[in-house]
Amino acid sequence: MAKREEFDVCVIGTGAGGGVMIHELTAAGFNVVALERGKSYTTANFTDDELGNLIRRSSLAPHQLESYRAEPKAPSRAGRFNNLAHCVGGSSVHWSAASWRYRPDEFKVLSSEGPVAGANLADWPIDYDELEPYYGKAERAYGVSGQSGSNPFEPKRSSSYPNPPHPFRSASYVIERGANNLGYHPFPLPLAINSQPYGNRPPCMRSGQCANYGCIVNAKASSLSVHIPPALATDRLDLRPESFVNEIRLDETGRVRSVSYLTATGEQREVYAKRFVLSAGAVGSAHLLKLSTSGAFPEGLANSSGQLGRNLTYHITAIVGFWTDELSHGIVGQTGQVAIDDLHASDSKRGFIRGGMIMENGEANPIYYAMNGVSQGLSAGTQTWGKPLKDYLRKFRHAASMLAIGEDLPREENGIDVDPTIKDHLGIPVPRITHTNHPNDIALHHYYEGKMMEIAQASGAKDVWKIRLPGFSDLEKGRSQEGSYHLHGTCRMGDDPSKSVLNRWCRAHDVPNLWVVDGSCFPTAGGYNPTMTIVANAYRVVEQMIREAKRLDS
Amino acid sequence: MTDSLFGRGKQCRSMSRREFLERTIQGSALLWVGEGIARPRAARAASQSQKLAALSIPEWKTVEAIAARILPTDQDPGAREAGCINFIDKALANEDAMILPLYQMSLAALEGHCQAVFKNSFAELSEERQEKVLVQVENGTVSGWPQGPIRPEAFFATVRFHTLVGFVANPSYGGNQDFVGWKVLGFPGPRHHMGGGTPEQMVGKQKIKTVWGDEID
Ligand SMILES: Cc1cc2nc3c(=O)[nH]c(=O)nc-3n(C[C@H](O)[C@H](O)[C@H](O)COP(=O)(O)OP(=O)(O)OC[C@H]3O[C@@H](n4cnc5c(N)ncnc54)[C@H](O)[C@@H]3O)c2cc1C
Repeated sequence: MAKREEFDVCVIGTGAGGGVMIHELTAAGFNVVALERGKSYTTANFTDDELGNLIRRSSLAPHQLESYRAEPKAPSRAGRFNNLAHCVGGSSVHWSAASWRYRPDEFKVLSSEGPVAGANLADWPIDYDELEPYYGKAERAYGVSGQSGSNPFEPKRSSSYPNPPHPFRSASYVIERGANNLGYHPFPLPLAINSQPYGNRPPCMRSGQCANYGCIVNAKASSLSVHIPPALATDRLDLRPESFVNEIRLDETGRVRSVSYLTATGEQREVYAKRFVLSAGAVGSAHLLKLSTSGAFPEGLANSSGQLGRNLTYHITAIVGFWTDELSHGIVGQTGQVAIDDLHASDSKRGFIRGGMIMENGEANPIYYAMNGVSQGLSAGTQTWGKPLKDYLRKFRHAASMLAIGEDLPREENGIDVDPTIKDHLGIPVPRITHTNHPNDIALHHYYEGKMMEIAQASGAKDVWKIRLPGFSDLEKGRSQEGSYHLHGTCRMGDDPSKSVLNRWCRAHDVPNLWVVDGSCFPTAGGYNPTMTIVANAYRVVEQMIREAKRLDS
Repeated sequence: MTDSLFGRGKQCRSMSRREFLERTIQGSALLWVGEGIARPRAARAASQSQKLAALSIPEWKTVEAIAARILPTDQDPGAREAGCINFIDKALANEDAMILPLYQMSLAALEGHCQAVFKNSFAELSEERQEKVLVQVENGTVSGWPQGPIRPEAFFATVRFHTLVGFVANPSYGGNQDFVGWKVLGFPGPRHHMGGGTPEQMVGKQKIKTVWGDEID
């Protein structure tokens, strides 16, 4: 038998959070093994195939299987509900790269709102000021292109965006006009996409294919384009793709001793390390901890609080479509170029608490547009097929869209556990999603939908419609949501071990050598796309982890 | 490869075809395909052929006729010219093989209805009649549809979805032949392998090359 190898750190998952951990730990001299369930791709593997990437999602997560139910006790059904990439780089590979800092009050929702019935609100154990320098670090690593100071509602920043903003497309100017006419303050959407050569990566080629696509020139920042290559160059990274971790094992002292994983052919392997970082995303991390039961932790590892897998948040994504008089030019450019943040601040007078941001949903994807013809037909009161549908298709070049990301409230019932019967291709019981929205979420959705329609109308658009994506139950009847592309909250961090899974350094309260560093530590969801907060928080946490490890190991 | 993820060897372990169908129907999803189902990559080569892969000749004709009502031919090409039926047949033989039985049962129900009411096949009815029948299928009021879990509304939504996708997906999947779907949209084809775009193109100050060799604004 081969000599048992022991790494300094084992990182599970190589997405937005994992990438930072791998990069910083290898740079600090640690020997790291990274286990990733998906394949390792290069830019040559990324296709422009909308059907495979966006609709069937067979390209980047071919083996994804989950189950869903709206309420605890309801039977679950199998499917692919969350939009995930399972590959080296995780979902940072096919993200849209909208790059935000959360507002100070978004870290303190419980103290700013007080308790809310039916929601499990909490404060983050950290505040904006503590995270601020790490946001700067994250923006520099990802090369965010934006115009510092252009959003009058942005919290104070100690450093500027490293790259200038991208130019607008025709539709961006239309939205800007509508927003200006209503007295709002539109500004260039900050994007982690190079607007000029930066960090050994070329500028964007403006293909209009960011969301759901891997970038074929690496102009879009991701764990794969930013963090993994320099980590590999240190020779201290042992990167193991197609390694699905299915159990975390403890030793007799209650520390993690090893993890076991399955290779693509179903072979079982084991890896030993001094420290373990779980970065499998809010679904994957909670799922793996729930799979790892033992005498001490019958309900899942590190779950003495009972909060593991709970408080899953998805964000509210409201979308409206409209036609512009001029061509919209969504077929070229990036994700979206313009954003509006005037309506963000929480104000219970609006009939709900918390808030969100509005941005151009700029890319024109033919299948996505065609599918949304049904929404348009319903809103116009016309037949959703036949000549009206054909007429709708003919207006593709005039189509524009906005979307709002809003803060949804955490509910204890919403979460991830292990499905009792449904298994994946490797025979592992799949993650089971339970999700129903809090009524506040629905009110928030309606509000932003209405405001975006006003902006479109103020730009001069005559036809404006609500786009309701499949996977949502009827909003008017209350709502449950099968899945999302923003996933947070299943292992919330906090100072009180009886109410949280992780401490302020994202270390498990219950297990001294286990960290969880990805979207799952978020106690509440924030009202912007989450990834820069995941990346910044990872920088904050890894610094402390390295400091401590050097002290203990020396 | 003529079967989907759930139909093959080892992967069968997780869920039988019957279980899958039951769950799909239980979920009462209005759409049988789309976001919710795990499937392997297309057998793209097969999609290039016009030979029947999943449907019988009468089924092919019926689905082709439905698709032609969903995206009719007018001054611009429609589902027929785009070969949406070929896309659907190949999808039902590959990624969407799981729902082929649902298609077949629904097509039999539709045929039963048309024979009972018009003594004729759906594909042989006048376009006007076909539209009237489809309105009833869409809103679930069509007569003679067997009681049970396979709802006409879901069948209609699924064919509409398939037709739309076949019209505008990459031609290598068997539909959108000669790029007619993209031409109706004014979509020049994906930019990734066409050199991307320019700031001037983003505001209409420079022409955009299509993948079939034209230029558009
Ligand atoms: C289409 C799309 C657009 C988006 N756009 C934006 C945007 O504009 N702005 C923004 O801020 N965010 C955006 N997001 C969200 C962003 O992708 C996520 O917030 C981010 O990637 C989450 O990082 P993470 O580290 O938590 O998890 P992930 O990036 O998902 O990484 C988790 C990794 O763990 C691996 N893994 C899971 N389970 C296991 C296991 N058991 N064993 C081994 N490996 C495992 C996965 O394969 C994956 O690689 C978008 C997402 C999508 C899908």
